[in-house]
Amino acid sequence: MKEEFLEIRDLKKSFGEGEAKQEVLRGMDFTVKKGEFCVLLGPSGSGKSTLLNIIGGIDTPDSGYVSINGDKLEEMNESQLTMYRRKHLGYVFQMYNLIPNLNVKENIEVGAYLSDNPLDVEEVLTTLGLQDHKYKYPNQLSGGQQQRVSIGRAVVKNPDILMCDEPTGALDYKTSKEILALIEDCNKKYGNTVIMVTHNEAIKNMADHVIKLRDGVVRHNDINENKITAAELEW
Amino acid sequence: MKNPLIKRIPKELKSDWHKYFVIVVFMVVMIGVISGMYVGHDSMLAAVYGGRETLNLEDGSFELNKKASAELLDAISTGKKADVRQYYIDKGIEEADKEVAKAIDEKLNESVTEAITENVKAACEAYGITDEDQIKEQVDEALKENLESALKEARETDEFKQAEKDAYKEAHDKVVEEVDKEWDEAVKKYDLDNPGFASVKTVIYENFYRNESEEYGDGSEEATVRVFKSDSKVDKASFNEGRAPETENEIAIDRMHASNVGIEIGDAIKVGGKEFEVVGLLSYVNYLTLHESNTDLMFDAFGFDVAMVTPGGFDRLTARIHYNYAFKYVNAPEDKVEKADNSENFLKALITQTLVYDNEIEDYLPEYIRQASNFAVSDIEGDSAGAAILCYILIGVIAFIFAVTISNTIDKEASVIGTLRASGYSKGELIRHYMSMPVIVTFVGAIAGNVLGYTAFKDLAVNLYYESYSLPTCHTVWSNTALVKTTVIPLVLMFFINLIVIVKKLQLSPLRFLRHDLVKNKRAKARRLPKWAFLRRFRLRILFQNIPNYVILIFGVIFIELMMCFAFGLPDSLDHYAKEAPGMMFAPYQYMLMGSEDDDGNVITTGEKTAERFDAKNLIYPKKKSTFREGMGSGGDESVTAYGIGNDSDYISLESRTGAGKVYVSSAFAKKFGLKKGNSITLNEEYENKSYTFEVAGQVDYEGGIAVFMDIAGFKEVFEKEEDDFSGYFSRNEITDIDDKYIATVITKDDIIKVTNQLNHSMGGIINIFRYALIVLTAALIYLLAKIIIERNEQSISMAKILGFKNGEIGSLYIIPTAIVVTLFAFISFVIGYYLMIWIFHVFMLQMNGYFAFFMSIPSMILSVLYLLIGYAFVSILDFIRIRRIPMDVALKNVE
Repeated sequence: MKEEFLEIRDLKKSFGEGEAKQEVLRGMDFTVKKGEFCVLLGPSGSGKSTLLNIIGGIDTPDSGYVSINGDKLEEMNESQLTMYRRKHLGYVFQMYNLIPNLNVKENIEVGAYLSDNPLDVEEVLTTLGLQDHKYKYPNQLSGGQQQRVSIGRAVVKNPDILMCDEPTGALDYKTSKEILALIEDCNKKYGNTVIMVTHNEAIKNMADHVIKLRDGVVRHNDINENKITAAELEW
Repeated sequence: MKNPLIKRIPKELKSDWHKYFVIVVFMVVMIGVISGMYVGHDSMLAAVYGGRETLNLEDGSFELNKKASAELLDAISTGKKADVRQYYIDKGIEEADKEVAKAIDEKLNESVTEAITENVKAACEAYGITDEDQIKEQVDEALKENLESALKEARETDEFKQAEKDAYKEAHDKVVEEVDKEWDEAVKKYDLDNPGFASVKTVIYENFYRNESEEYGDGSEEATVRVFKSDSKVDKASFNEGRAPETENEIAIDRMHASNVGIEIGDAIKVGGKEFEVVGLLSYVNYLTLHESNTDLMFDAFGFDVAMVTPGGFDRLTARIHYNYAFKYVNAPEDKVEKADNSENFLKALITQTLVYDNEIEDYLPEYIRQASNFAVSDIEGDSAGAAILCYILIGVIAFIFAVTISNTIDKEASVIGTLRASGYSKGELIRHYMSMPVIVTFVGAIAGNVLGYTAFKDLAVNLYYESYSLPTCHTVWSNTALVKTTVIPLVLMFFINLIVIVKKLQLSPLRFLRHDLVKNKRAKARRLPKWAFLRRFRLRILFQNIPNYVILIFGVIFIELMMCFAFGLPDSLDHYAKEAPGMMFAPYQYMLMGSEDDDGNVITTGEKTAERFDAKNLIYPKKKSTFREGMGSGGDESVTAYGIGNDSDYISLESRTGAGKVYVSSAFAKKFGLKKGNSITLNEEYENKSYTFEVAGQVDYEGGIAVFMDIAGFKEVFEKEEDDFSGYFSRNEITDIDDKYIATVITKDDIIKVTNQLNHSMGGIINIFRYALIVLTAALIYLLAKIIIERNEQSISMAKILGFKNGEIGSLYIIPTAIVVTLFAFISFVIGYYLMIWIFHVFMLQMNGYFAFFMSIPSMILSVLYLLIGYAFVSILDFIRIRRIPMDVALKNVE
């Protein structure tokens, strides 16, 4: 039985004031176990990215708390939050946000540098199928290749949690499946907890844990007993 | 593991090498020049300070009207004040005694004569003699026979002795009474009751000189040469070339003067009409600059020279000897305050002792305010201080350019920064990363600059000093100041300016970076624009968007214009002054006389019809102590000449009579110190504790010096002058019937323009180089600033291309707003730079004696704006090329 790793309790967050006030999270509760592949599913405006940002310690809730391994984020100051991100989190964004004047290998080293026990950069390059491209610059790569690099940068830290914000949002079907397969591989191989935000319903089928959000609350919180591989996904 | 972000730095350097190249070259040259100046100046100062010891520089000097007696010199060297009261009493008694003795003699003679005459007349009457002639004959005979013995007899009587004693006592008492009556004034005049007085012991050296005429070349060229003896024990000279004179026909002269007028070793020159062979080129420790007089605005290495001859050679000359004595304190003062105190105390002793020994002080000058030995040192320091400030301003500008570039890079890389921050990179790591570029570039610039500073530029600086001053030979010394000022301070400046900007920029949360939400204060509404053509509005939007960049651009432009005003204005001011100089003369000839009487006591007169007498007196105007440069004669007080002008003067017309309480001030005086009609000014005596306060009645249009004018009656009343006293003549024609020995100086146009001649000689070549360097600087600065604007808009430019805008249109969109800003501010900045320069010039002039105003001709004004625009035109072409090169995929690549 996997232990409870991430705990989210009565999380609330709103933007704006007065009439323009918009409640994005309206009391969210759930837990994620260590090593779980968790998908946060929901349409635009359901609060999934905001939730991810709060879990990532780059945004703060109005009330409620996020606790990782028993440590509450709200009790951390800025430098503790930075250390928390540094030691525990890997980020993959829809936009790859690579450093333009560093090559592929160096962009991955940017992640490795932050970690006390990084993975071998060469191994990650091989895993991600980037060996042939490792001396290329980001602007010499396709979108899918760039997203691989960005996954490599996150994974190489060997983070406890891999946060993926719509990682396939800007990619075509085939490339999306390749990227998902890579994240799946990493999850299996390195045992990271994966929290993936997506609005693509099909992706839920490859997750251990599916949390459906709508209007800032959890509508469904299911454990997927019939998990399939990324390769088997269809949409 | 090393931070992989470090790998970006060489790539960044490589990809933008032209920008960093411009910056590095800029810094290398700037820092190199400043470092060279410091190393040069430190080396120079080391040589100068070394010379002060080995060549026995005086602590001060004084000149007396006649050769001092050994007793007087002894008295002065004790540093004690003389007993002035006793002197007055003794002198009074001496005079009184003469008068009493004369009166007694007369009286006695009269009464004895009368008694003898009466006796003879009585005897004649007894004998019945009535013939008047016969009686007179008898009387004369009796007087002849008996007067002497009768007088002698009379003197022996007690009655006479008592009367004589009483008369002397009465006279002596009266003298003491008179002295006491005027004692308060004497005390005040000589500051005799100053409780702060402490005697200062000195060693006094004879250092006589003659001011002779010097003829060189084919004999048509002439200068004044101050000739000293080679056996002097004080204020000695070091030899740059050649040797000291050994025979009475040999002479060694100042190196600077020799170089200026083209005299070489082996040449024959005529001094005081006698021929001498030049055997050495020297630098006198007390004449590092050839200031003929301490009150000269500028030294004159063309028209004035100092020289050394053997005592035999000195005797060959005939001009009057200046009885100049140099002194050194027995206990050397430690600082400037002590120097000033010592000097003041010494002066009191000097004044009183010369008074009681019946001599007169012609001149007194403590070394610490001696222009000729301090001007060069202060000026060298002043030069480098000014250049360092210039360097800091430029480095500040470059630091801002860096800061803006980095700030733009941060904007562009917002999502990457957000991702890195979200991944756990700390703010500190990113700050260090973005800081590294400016620090590295500054460091490289500083190192390379310093290397050049110790080699090529040092010689440049040293040669510049040699071109201007009569300095001893120097050797390179290590300069800590150079290291601090050219390496540490630029690094610190660069570091902190960038740190502040980058820290501020990176304050935002990772999330806001991820969202590209980087503007702190969002404007609620977009600025509304008038209904202009689309492109025009587009351009205006670009202008608004780039306002922060333009602000920096404008600062750069103001700085450039200030430099332009300097580069064009300084030579213009010198030319203007030289051109105006004849108009600055009261008269084509102005003769200052040694005194108003000749050796026989007759008033000096002339047959010259245009000659007109005037009175003059040197006074001191206390400057406000707000100047930042000290240590030269000009640092303390301003020397002011007070003129007494005849009522119907042909040369200077005063609007109305001034009387004793009012003066007209020269326009130069008014400008320098901001004096206006109705102001009150206080002028002090140079060597007495006496002040005069006047109301300013108006201005006299006279730019040639700091002077005040009064009518002659007022002058005589204020300064207690005799009716026949006067100081000299103004004349349209040369006066030929006054013996040269009575003439102290003749002031001609050349004396006025010697300032500008010297400045032109010292700076002329540099100014031109400076002007061309400025164009390059202008172009480089604008290039960097304009590049920022284009870089910032790369994505928009790329997008505009995708949308179908032509290169020309895009160029007009992005270049024209900058062109408008540059052109507009070229003019505005010129005006700002111009007025700033006038102010700087004025502040500079306040440190000097005398005045000349900043002037810029219209063509120079136009050129200084034009140069900037030419520089910008080149940059615009580069900008256009840059715009054409921006690829369309920039807008499509979200990574960028």
